Amino acid sequence: MRETLTSQQWDTLRAAMKVIIPPDDDPGALEAGVETYFRQQFDRDLQDFVIIYQHGLDALDAEALASTGEPFATIPLDTQEFLLTRIEHGSVQTAWPIDPRMFFSGLVDHCAEGFYSDPSNGGNRDGAAWKMIGFEVTA
Amino acid sequence: MSDRDYDVIVVGAGAGGGVAAGVLAEAGKKVLLLERGRAQTFAEIGRDHLRNQRLSQYGVNAGPDLEGNPRVDTAGKTVRPTDPGYQNNAALVGSGTRVYAGMAWRFMPQDFQMASVYGVPDGSSLADWPLTYADLVPYYERAEWEIGVCGDHRMMGHLPEYAKPYPMPPLALAHKSVVHERGLEKLGWGRVRVPRLINSVPYHDRAACVHCQHCVGFACPVDAKNGSQNTLIERAIASGNCTLQTEMMVSTLLTDASGHVTGIRAIDRTGAMCEFTAEVVVLSGGAVETARLLLNTTTTREPNGLGNNGDQVGRHLQGHYYPGAVGLFDEVMYDGVGPGGAIATCQFNHGNDGIVGGGMLQDDDIVLPIIFWKRALPPELPRWGRANKDFMRENYRRVSDIRGPLQEIPSPDSRVTLSPTVRDRYGIPVAQFSGTTHPETVRIAQFMNAQAREWLTASGAVQVWSDEPTLHLSGGQHQAGTCRMGDDPARSVVDRWCRVHNHENLFIADGSVHVTNGGFNPVLTIMALAWRTAENMMREW
Repeated sequence: MRETLTSQQWDTLRAAMKVIIPPDDDPGALEAGVETYFRQQFDRDLQDFVIIYQHGLDALDAEALASTGEPFATIPLDTQEFLLTRIEHGSVQTAWPIDPRMFFSGLVDHCAEGFYSDPSNGGNRDGAAWKMIGFEVTA
Repeated sequence: MSDRDYDVIVVGAGAGGGVAAGVLAEAGKKVLLLERGRAQTFAEIGRDHLRNQRLSQYGVNAGPDLEGNPRVDTAGKTVRPTDPGYQNNAALVGSGTRVYAGMAWRFMPQDFQMASVYGVPDGSSLADWPLTYADLVPYYERAEWEIGVCGDHRMMGHLPEYAKPYPMPPLALAHKSVVHERGLEKLGWGRVRVPRLINSVPYHDRAACVHCQHCVGFACPVDAKNGSQNTLIERAIASGNCTLQTEMMVSTLLTDASGHVTGIRAIDRTGAMCEFTAEVVVLSGGAVETARLLLNTTTTREPNGLGNNGDQVGRHLQGHYYPGAVGLFDEVMYDGVGPGGAIATCQFNHGNDGIVGGGMLQDDDIVLPIIFWKRALPPELPRWGRANKDFMRENYRRVSDIRGPLQEIPSPDSRVTLSPTVRDRYGIPVAQFSGTTHPETVRIAQFMNAQAREWLTASGAVQVWSDEPTLHLSGGQHQAGTCRMGDDPARSVVDRWCRVHNHENLFIADGSVHVTNGGFNPVLTIMALAWRTAENMMREW
């Protein structure tokens, strides 16, 4: 598989998915393998989105640096939540090369697709999300 | 059969084409059945939750191929089959019947006489059918018995009494259906067991439903779902009189110097062009592709497309708005017993104050988790974070929805035409959409949303929500109306026997001929009409 994001962009993406579908008694996006979903999709249906992710994840990091002095992946969880809430509503401090609301909305959709769709898509490992909600395949 | 290749060529192996091919082949006619898709196995259809007939986020599981089959949406954008503006139906042997939910509704007597019952709303093309419910009853019965429907005829109180029961008892109820049935009892609304083209018990040498969770949008794991591919098409081939050729895209009809249809021209899987002649041609490509094929065939006599001298081909495109509501319950509603949709009310199909027609409402089939996440969450719920995950965990099994197809009010401007510029992989001009349904459709949807909310509340929902309907073009899997039936050639495309006006040997057997599309899933009506059309052809042959 060709490398699509830099390691720092992957760090940011992993941190974001951890906030979007957080772990608790049940696995979150990261634990259930949603990163694998993204890796598969960046080579498949989301090829056109790679550049959007590159811009969006860099901008998310820049936003974190501007308001906390640290990259997004290393700031505390509640600060990450706070930043993402602002981005969701388009209220950003730095200049974004793309619409932050659209970027975030796509990011949330893709995390959920990985987490809740069938495990063959790579992101619902061992049917973890289905076990959590009580969806069982019997035949 | 003289010097022609076949007696009949049927274009499209779906609900209507499959039935027509079966009836004609068993009657001894040499039939060529052409399908642009493939004959797909259960494994090929698969269970990909992001690429299926129910959620085509990134792909489809039942055709057509994503590349090379574009259409142009109402905004003028070239779109692929995954785009909602594409109005996709399936393209494989059996077409939609391979992956459908198999809702086996008869239309009601009033559905055939909408203009007489309600008058014609300004700007709409609402009209009566040139036939009645009684004309179709014998063919509804045949479809119910020979394709195979389960249900309880004694509960069909919205229809005249059945002469013949269903061949199979209704499917076992999931817990949620029991709860919703109590809701209907409480309201005093009519209750119906949803009739389905599914084996509730072994039938025609195939197994009974195993109540899996992947019914609608997927193929059946035990072949208990009755489509055209495992009934009439199978019988057609078994008769020795039918040749099924897949991956054959029909580009135009062949005509002689006088404009008389003599056969078809197609492109096969290798890209080679081929021609077949026949005494009779039956079009069954669905309301979009059948209209496209007629429009793509021009003659001196009919320079704007076959059957189109009255400028009716492609107009009145309709499908089904699906109004409804979602409810959150304290109790666990979900027990995993598929297919799930089993209880309905026909209380609001007709007789609603100030509303033209209406529609059926029923509890929905099992909603796959990602589809639930995308479509069923309460509007005020955060889309991400702990609250969203908590809701999914707590309430996937506590949410249940009620919805159903409403009878759309047709507009002549809701339309399939040919794109002047976009062509498919074979170079054939593609379908282009324009217009919307009539605004009256939106009013009906608002009314039906309210009834669905009331039912959910009576069933015990503690919170209910629904989407506000918008005015848009409607087609999709229930596409209909583009070659409407009528006695007047200036205002319709086919006559009451589904024969294209002024073409004694060209017939249509799909939803295109529906004048109106009922407040019900249309497939049993498509099958019944195809049966009637084919039998009448044999009577006259």
